[in-house]
Amino acid sequence: METAVTKIVTQVEDLKDPAYLKIRDLIYEISGIYQPQEKLYLLASRCARRMAAVNAATPADYLAHLTLRANRETELRSLLNEITIGETYMFRSPAQLDALRNVILPQFVASKAAMGFKRLRLWSAGCSTGEEPYTLAMFLLEESTKLLSGWTFDILATDLNDHSLAAAKAGIYGEYSLRGTSDALRKKYFKPHDEKRLQASDQLKSLIRFERVNLSDDSKMIFIKGLDLIFCCNVLIYFDLNSKRRVMQHFYSNLLSGGYLFLGHAESLFQVDDRFRLMHFPGAIGYWKASANCVGSDKS
Amino acid sequence: MKTLDEIRSSISTLESIPAIPAIVQPLVATLNLPAEKVAVEQVVELVSYDSSIAAQCLRMANSPLFGRRNVETVKGAIVTLGLKRVQSILLGCCLNRIVPMDKWAFSATSFWRHSLGCALVSRKLASLIGYPEPEKAYLAGLLHDIGILVNTLACTKEYCQCFAAAGDRRVSLEVVEQNLLGFTHCESGRILAEQWKFPQDVVAVIAFHHHVAHARSAPALVCLVHLCDLLCRLRDLGYGFYEAMGVDLAGDRAWADLLEHCPQLATLDLTRLTLDIDGAMDEIIAVVDAVFHPESSISR
Repeated sequence: METAVTKIVTQVEDLKDPAYLKIRDLIYEISGIYQPQEKLYLLASRCARRMAAVNAATPADYLAHLTLRANRETELRSLLNEITIGETYMFRSPAQLDALRNVILPQFVASKAAMGFKRLRLWSAGCSTGEEPYTLAMFLLEESTKLLSGWTFDILATDLNDHSLAAAKAGIYGEYSLRGTSDALRKKYFKPHDEKRLQASDQLKSLIRFERVNLSDDSKMIFIKGLDLIFCCNVLIYFDLNSKRRVMQHFYSNLLSGGYLFLGHAESLFQVDDRFRLMHFPGAIGYWKASANCVGSDKS
Repeated sequence: MKTLDEIRSSISTLESIPAIPAIVQPLVATLNLPAEKVAVEQVVELVSYDSSIAAQCLRMANSPLFGRRNVETVKGAIVTLGLKRVQSILLGCCLNRIVPMDKWAFSATSFWRHSLGCALVSRKLASLIGYPEPEKAYLAGLLHDIGILVNTLACTKEYCQCFAAAGDRRVSLEVVEQNLLGFTHCESGRILAEQWKFPQDVVAVIAFHHHVAHARSAPALVCLVHLCDLLCRLRDLGYGFYEAMGVDLAGDRAWADLLEHCPQLATLDLTRLTLDIDGAMDEIIAVVDAVFHPESSISR
């Protein structure tokens, strides 16, 4: 009898099956998550798990599950969950933090300090169990001894899921969430919780305000104002095109001129929004709300 | 420290370039001819002149980056890849020979990863936006930084300082060259390219890829390579040091100029192209390591 593992291996090896490209394009069209040709094996391995779950014999059968079957939307969501699984850990996007440290913060310091403002407001939209806002809090505290000396910060962290928010507020993490966090930072910003887990310090927690926010709730979204940076990673992928466009309109209003929006590493806003400027930083892509007073491009 | 005039004079006598492969000049002569006037046998003969160059050519021709596998003969490479591409590959292999290993001011591997990356991305962008000569874009991308080889040979010690300063200050190499040497790799590259009678449009790319507004000939090709050079440096295919830059590529002057020649640029999915570069990264590294790396396993 064929084992599940053999089956997965066989399916993953069959990358030439054109159905994988169709699944890739479908995922890109619907969610904005893109897998380049050379990384198709990653998508295939994620598909393989779902194929085993729904008993699809071939990639073409599975494509039918995603496009023709009555429960296609549920299956698409399950596949998206598979694709983004394992992405929730602290310091998962070092290139984004490097861009903040080396390019964006110096811009903010130049433009805000000239006006006498020394305050930064960040929003982790769809913060899940809190890894992202705690990462941002640690990053800002570390920078407050250098470029951001004398600055104050606050971080808004929101999610729709009450269970995730409760976990985020508790701030208790195991090795999986902390695998990208250095020993020095663990020692500085966490305290032991039990044998295997650490808990975020009160200093970290004091920078973060956790709230339940539905990004589709216009009545709440219009009151979030004055942000410098928004992080919204692998959240919009679950929204349909119109909902994405509405959220993007809100994000644009939520940000101050000169502010930036960051999405997940493989997420694209192609044909979703044309007001933000697509900005390339080394290893990272961000979306900029252009400002006449801000230096937006430093190129040569 | 050498002046640009001294470098010009040493290039004309080839005294700075001790080991110029014998096939370079006849090869460049064939590059200046239209494809229909170049006999396949002529290029086969050039490639086969040096067995290790022939081996390097075949290694590149067999890479998935070039879309083909199982090419066993030089003639087979020309038949399957096309004459222009084989000429480009051959020239890349030859240029690798002009800098002795102990003369490199920085990592030879980084240089070739950037050059090959820029060649591939230039060809890809050319195809995506309907630029009529994708193979010319490949050649121009491969050669755009040839001035770095000239500077490495002509003033190795000072050039080491340039790289160190650019890395420390996290700025473009070209800015530091202007400050420390009084000229840039664009100017020294142009001297070599004119001396070696490279095609005029390729000379324009070498001379003006950092200052597209100055290009009188081949402005579209210059703009195309300028954008791809930036993209590569932003996706970990730079010179091995962090350049602190945030670039609005679609807001770049080169983008607007290229758009005039290639209207399809307006509908380019830039995020997707960026992620495709990331996807191709492993193979670019593998090819460069196999073909250009000093400890390459290919026998010489």
